[in-house]
Amino acid sequence: MQVLIAQLINGVSLGSIYVLLVTGFNLLLLVAMIIHFSYPQVVVFSMYVAWVVLKYTGNNLLLGVLAAVAASILMNVASAPLFQKVMQKRGEVDINSTMVLSMGIGMIITDVLSHSFNKGFPVAFPDALGGSRSILKAGLISLTMGQVVALGVGVIAVSAFFLLLYRSRAGRAFRAIAEDPNGARLVGIPLLSTGFASYAITGLLGGVSAILLAMLIGSASPGLGEQVAHKVLAVSIIAGLGNLVGGLVVGLGLGVLEAVVQGYISGSWSNAIAFVIMLVVILVKPKGIFGVKL
Amino acid sequence: MAPSDVLLKVDDLSVSYGHVQALRGVSLEVRTGEIVVLIGANGAGKSSLLETVLGINRPEAGSITFKGRAITGMAADRVVRGGISLVPEGRGVFAAMSVLDNLLLGAHHNLSNAPANLRRVFEWFPLLGERKNQLARTLSGGERQMLAIGRSLMAAPSLIMIDEPSIGLAPIVVATIFEIIVHLNREGYTILLSEQNAYKALKCAHRGYVLETGSVALTGTAAELLGDPGVREAYLGA
Repeated sequence: MQVLIAQLINGVSLGSIYVLLVTGFNLLLLVAMIIHFSYPQVVVFSMYVAWVVLKYTGNNLLLGVLAAVAASILMNVASAPLFQKVMQKRGEVDINSTMVLSMGIGMIITDVLSHSFNKGFPVAFPDALGGSRSILKAGLISLTMGQVVALGVGVIAVSAFFLLLYRSRAGRAFRAIAEDPNGARLVGIPLLSTGFASYAITGLLGGVSAILLAMLIGSASPGLGEQVAHKVLAVSIIAGLGNLVGGLVVGLGLGVLEAVVQGYISGSWSNAIAFVIMLVVILVKPKGIFGVKL
Repeated sequence: MAPSDVLLKVDDLSVSYGHVQALRGVSLEVRTGEIVVLIGANGAGKSSLLETVLGINRPEAGSITFKGRAITGMAADRVVRGGISLVPEGRGVFAAMSVLDNLLLGAHHNLSNAPANLRRVFEWFPLLGERKNQLARTLSGGERQMLAIGRSLMAAPSLIMIDEPSIGLAPIVVATIFEIIVHLNREGYTILLSEQNAYKALKCAHRGYVLETGSVALTGTAAELLGDPGVREAYLGA
């Protein structure tokens, strides 16, 4: 029982980060109409930016957090014209060609991280970030600062995002474009600038995720982005591409599943087992558990 | 209302989609206070004309002037902001969004006046007010047409373009929709309408243009067109 509770805590906190990432991924898919497969790599790059800033400012936490968020937003907004150019050249929305562009961005990030930071070795975040600080310990159950913050901030960020989506002018335009881009254009919604806003908002979500990941796992490596990217893509497909509510459920589910496997079977097998289970799900429900929303 | 100055002027407009020429040198005028109808068969270029005015298609030749300002090739969101709104063919209602959200989408560039405009739309279409929190997918075809018209009003336009309002609607509903169009015109809205249902449309319009394979075949007052033997044969089934 204690193991289960401990692993549920682990799972939900990791899952809330997956939820943030898959929400950003889905928003780009729905509004900017791109498959930004490498979005998690942008997030991991932002973790590295935070690491560098922490290192050279004597662990100034505020600057570290701001730097990660700024890096993520900047990377996303800077890549927006590239994606939009590719789509314009094709004369129509072409999700496949944007996916190739996204993979290219991902590979460049991975290469830069493995050559230019810490000689390619994984970077460890300083204790000052406080992610591993213990808040509660009872038997096998322990609660760290990183877990509490990941869950708390995750819930706040996702709620704020849904509030924006359902209660604001921009959110209304996002939903209209997601449902029918052509129809949105006919009623006067500017597709380019609204799409641009979605890059900025996913950048913000990504920056927040970067800090939460840094606190929760305490380290980052050049290969982390790709690993997370596979999971985010898988979660989005399993939930149903573009299905925001589905992504919420499946993102949390994957976090819990991984944690439970780690607790009861083996930590080193958690990825493989999670992917086997997802494979089975996708065989049974090819359009995702909650249905594709594109 | 007495038709007076020219609100919209389309001059020698040509539009192609790849190798297909949709419009060949179309010229027309809409004056303030008028209902003008575009008549033509499927594929004659009615929708292409309306969408080009809105800024969806880029013309290869010709010009579009609205309120004396050139709007040729202007992006659709700027044209809408400038005072033209379109009620698209097939309504273009967002089925997964609430009635209220659909209406507010029309006010995307005019949000500060949205409360007052909403009140007016709900006065004219009480049904939309009753169902404002329902998803648009729960509305019938006629109700969706009302929603699409209401949405276009939220932008406080000077010119409303309505693309095939009667398509897919039961005759009794069509009659209601045309009553609404006449009513809007009496309230001061200028309306450019495209319609295959030529009789109904000409009955409520001031003037009309007959489009055939992308060019204007005939133009005149609604009464002239209703009396024209060619029009009667081709579009009125008489």
